[in-house]
Amino acid sequence: MKEMWEGGLRLGEGDFSFLEEVRRRSGEHLDLCYQCMKCTAGCPTAPYMDIKPHQLIRMIQMGRRGEVLGSGAIWFCVYCQTCGTRCPNEIHIGVLMDALREMAVGEGVEVKERRIHLLHEAFIQSVRRGGRVHEVTMLMDYVLRSRDLMKDSLGSGVKLFLKGKFPLFPSFVKEREEIRRIFERCTKKQ
Amino acid sequence: MNYLYFPGCTLYTKAKNFDQTARNCSLLLGFELIELPNWTCCGATFPLATDNLMALLPPARILARAKEQGEILTTLCAICFNVIKRTNHLLQRDGEKREKINEFMEMNYLGDLKVLHYLEILKQEIGFSTIKDKVKKPLNELQAAPYYGCMLLRPFEEMGFDDKERPTLFEEFLESLGAKPVDFPYKIECCGSFQSVGSPEVATECAYRILTSAMKQGAEVVVSTCPLCTFNLDQKQSDILKAHLDFKTIPVLYFTQLLGVAMGLDPRTLGFEQNAVDPIPLLKRKGLV
Repeated sequence: MKEMWEGGLRLGEGDFSFLEEVRRRSGEHLDLCYQCMKCTAGCPTAPYMDIKPHQLIRMIQMGRRGEVLGSGAIWFCVYCQTCGTRCPNEIHIGVLMDALREMAVGEGVEVKERRIHLLHEAFIQSVRRGGRVHEVTMLMDYVLRSRDLMKDSLGSGVKLFLKGKFPLFPSFVKEREEIRRIFERCTKKQ
Repeated sequence: MNYLYFPGCTLYTKAKNFDQTARNCSLLLGFELIELPNWTCCGATFPLATDNLMALLPPARILARAKEQGEILTTLCAICFNVIKRTNHLLQRDGEKREKINEFMEMNYLGDLKVLHYLEILKQEIGFSTIKDKVKKPLNELQAAPYYGCMLLRPFEEMGFDDKERPTLFEEFLESLGAKPVDFPYKIECCGSFQSVGSPEVATECAYRILTSAMKQGAEVVVSTCPLCTFNLDQKQSDILKAHLDFKTIPVLYFTQLLGVAMGLDPRTLGFEQNAVDPIPLLKRKGLV
């Protein structure tokens, strides 16, 4: 963290439309934040974040678009909503993180936590195929996309399979045609 | 009275024991779970950015289909419950989005279905006192730690499940079965969720903190309401053992498995073979199987 702040954040350097844009996309009033750090204190994934939740808000206020959208932090949030429940100013950082991820993907910013992003992709593709998530094919898809042989996770996958928890064949809904249409219309509109 | 039931994807795969025990217990408690025909994935995350309507489509479709067939929809998986309940809440209150979604999906759903978690059905519709009367094999003061996780409780304005920081519903349930609920500070902490795939070390650490916190308060078993939490808490214990030499394993059960034990169901039907940490030695010691 130290390096990031060494240069200091000087007013006048940032992109000030950023705060307004994030406010509009997320609906959260980030200007209310007074840095009490309750969000970071209760966050289960904060230890793994390159920029902590309360710092992220400050950086948005300062208009540091590139650092915020390119951060790994936005991909570590699992939306447990602990921060939003405890924030004295009722800022829901989980909501904010979702908006930031959308903006990052939309702007083609290079995703720092690539593997997490790829898992999201593999998940939605699995729903697209059959209307329901099928873990075996979803995880295979994830492994192929990420070229991450999943180290430990592959081991637990095998264990689950041996316990009869992973059926090899997906269960599809009957109305796959309807699912296909919904996806098609969504991608067209967006 | 029967209830419409949305199982969700994992209840068909890695949480079959959750699904099956809930169905069997229902019959003993005098109601049946009627599976919603042709259900799809709920989407697994409630979309948060204000302009993302696409992710609302799967839960909206589920709600509209359910409304055609009944008034109350129940789920077991805490994540599905969160997504479906929040979408329902939004469709009730946001007329503009409701109209857009209805138009897009060619349906007319008004948000007037009641979405209840299975635990809420047990509390509000059946009553914990009735359950207590129907218990055949009281759990012999088994020290059980109720793990709520995130999804049942937050955001509490929309979920309305229980108190946001000090919930007690799960404890009341365990008491009605004759168990001794263990209060522990990590009962509403996050399990690390889907990070167990992309960054397994994150989820392993979360699980370590939760499980050791429960054990320090004297828990003999941790009880869960969510397939993903159960994966992280139960399945990941072999990874925790590698990272923390002081760690001792502890069984993690779905609440319906304990309900099944208390209702006197044949232990062979309770799916214990699918639990990573074998609960049988503990249950034997307690004289429960």
